[in-house]
Amino acid sequence: MATTSLFDRVRRSEAASGIALISPTALYAILLLAAPLATVLIYSVMTDGPSVGVIWQLNGENYAKVWTEPIYRAVMLRSLLVSFAVTAVTVLLAYPVAYFVSFNVPASKKSLWLFLITIPFWTSYVIRVFIWKGIILGYNGVINQVLMGVGLTSEPLQAINYNVGAIIITLAHAYAPFAILPIFVSLEKIDRSLLEAGLDLGESRFLTFLRVTLPLSMAGVIAAVMIVFIPTVGDYVTPTLIGGGKVNMIANQIQVEMLKQHRMALGSAIAVSAMLIVCVICLVFLFINRRFLGAQK
Amino acid sequence: MTVSAEKPTMPEKPTMIEFKDVQKYYGDYHALRGITATIKAGEFFSLLGPSGCGKTTLLRTIAGFEGISSGAVLIDGKSMAEVPPNLRPTNMVFQSYAIFPHLTVEQNVGFGLRKDPRSVAEKQKAVDEALGMVGLKGYGKRAAHALSGGQRQRVALARALILKPKVLLLDEPLSALDKKIREQMQMELIKLQREVGITFVLVTHDQEEALVMSDRIAVMFEGEIAQLADPETLYRKPANRKVAEFIGTMNFLPASIVSEDTGKITVDAEGFGRIEINATQVSKANPGDGPSVGFRPETLTLLFDGQTASDRESTATVSEVVYYGDMTYYDVKLAGSDTPLRLSMRNTPGRPVLDIGAPTRVAWSAGAMVLFR
Repeated sequence: MATTSLFDRVRRSEAASGIALISPTALYAILLLAAPLATVLIYSVMTDGPSVGVIWQLNGENYAKVWTEPIYRAVMLRSLLVSFAVTAVTVLLAYPVAYFVSFNVPASKKSLWLFLITIPFWTSYVIRVFIWKGIILGYNGVINQVLMGVGLTSEPLQAINYNVGAIIITLAHAYAPFAILPIFVSLEKIDRSLLEAGLDLGESRFLTFLRVTLPLSMAGVIAAVMIVFIPTVGDYVTPTLIGGGKVNMIANQIQVEMLKQHRMALGSAIAVSAMLIVCVICLVFLFINRRFLGAQK
Repeated sequence: MTVSAEKPTMPEKPTMIEFKDVQKYYGDYHALRGITATIKAGEFFSLLGPSGCGKTTLLRTIAGFEGISSGAVLIDGKSMAEVPPNLRPTNMVFQSYAIFPHLTVEQNVGFGLRKDPRSVAEKQKAVDEALGMVGLKGYGKRAAHALSGGQRQRVALARALILKPKVLLLDEPLSALDKKIREQMQMELIKLQREVGITFVLVTHDQEEALVMSDRIAVMFEGEIAQLADPETLYRKPANRKVAEFIGTMNFLPASIVSEDTGKITVDAEGFGRIEINATQVSKANPGDGPSVGFRPETLTLLFDGQTASDRESTATVSEVVYYGDMTYYDVKLAGSDTPLRLSMRNTPGRPVLDIGAPTRVAWSAGAMVLFR
């Protein structure tokens, strides 16, 4: 009977119930996240074979190639620049929206506003990208029609599609809600009497914003930056569709190496390098902004 | 408590704040109903009333955080109608203290000094002095969010006083502190106010706090000032029964008016019988209520064996005893009355504590009574 009671005790312990609660998610994460990641890490130090698949032979040349050949560097730099631009545009445009909803919308209407902000999510991301590509920026799209309609141009502009600017616009729109929500939350948490105190101590509304509101909402801004920056570096759909295959970003390069050139090891090395770069950039960014994080109650 | 007897001999102070028929509506809600009052320079003034009476709203009209629907608020003779909060000669200690959580103590205290033309070193000296004044010497480098409630309050005070405002506004600054610290802070605030000579306007719902700290008090109910007077007048001669009930404890006995002469009113009060009340001791009853006489607990005294009343005495029965150590609070009922009267007796050596139901005698005096009619 002793074994049964011991089993019961283990089964009823808090640790056991905790493990039981997270096990479906943990299993999912191990199978679909950790295992593929490990595979990529292992592939990246192996040798590419003559056809599909890798030869199980340790090889450091993949990384040497990734870090020295200009093509990879150029694509990586473009990816970073695009995501920096997308992040900057998204966060700069999201902040006023979050500020408006937090400070100017009556409390009873805030949920409605947040609901409206998330409406773009009702449409698939790919479809939204297509809308930008075809309907808005396209050859026969809204912008070209308007420009021709008012007589500014005589024929449709090619330049507004298939370029970095179009990619940035599309991504910024796609990630806007992700940036608005964390900033909104951080603004909501600010005790409104702090803003009155800023005014009371002689500062104008604008300076009160700079000296009180902005620093106190930085945690939300930092979260927004990370949420937008990290996925856009690796975005694959938008450059493919909007860039029309002409403006590759790092994810497109990985796809080309792995699926078209069958260079799994090299593709893995690019992927791991990209992850490392993003990771380092994020850590530096967090370090620079460390005073805004955690210090508040 | 303030010594009001000295007041008339003091020279009249100039006016610092003036309210002229101030009206404030929130939609249909009439929050301030024609406030007309003046606050004098260098005065410790309190706005006292239950929650929702408009006292905080009135304070915020001085700071400029609330606009007014009509009327005028003047500070030092100037209309504040077009002056935003950041340009008013007032500073505020907020109820939540509103200490900036992302700044250190000295950055909080020095927040308002950005435009000050003095050098960095001089400003630092001013900050240190302000911290010393509120008893926080050496706390400058600490993170503001790590302070206790009492320390936050001191930082808020230093942050406001360093700007040398004409008026310091205090919005229930002590309500979040526990009793001991609150009483200590009351004393410190009084001292501080005397030292700096700045006009203090305090909002509180705690009548004891208002009595202890203020030179004058405006008692507010439902958006109106019910009475504006010094603490002793408020306590001894409340303008109406509502004020009397709000300030301290008062016993009331139903009474009927027998006759009125010039300067004197004779009433028949339940349990006491015929009393002559001075015409200056007349106050307003609640609308619809009959006349009553009111008196404070300390104006009734229990008579023990062999003691006699200096003025008048009545027989009574003890109906409740609450023992407080230094004091005993009794409820007694007069012969012929069913209304319990609260009184307090100091527990001097040898004095017994009576039991419930014990017969006793009480001494009283008509001079301490107020007629509400």
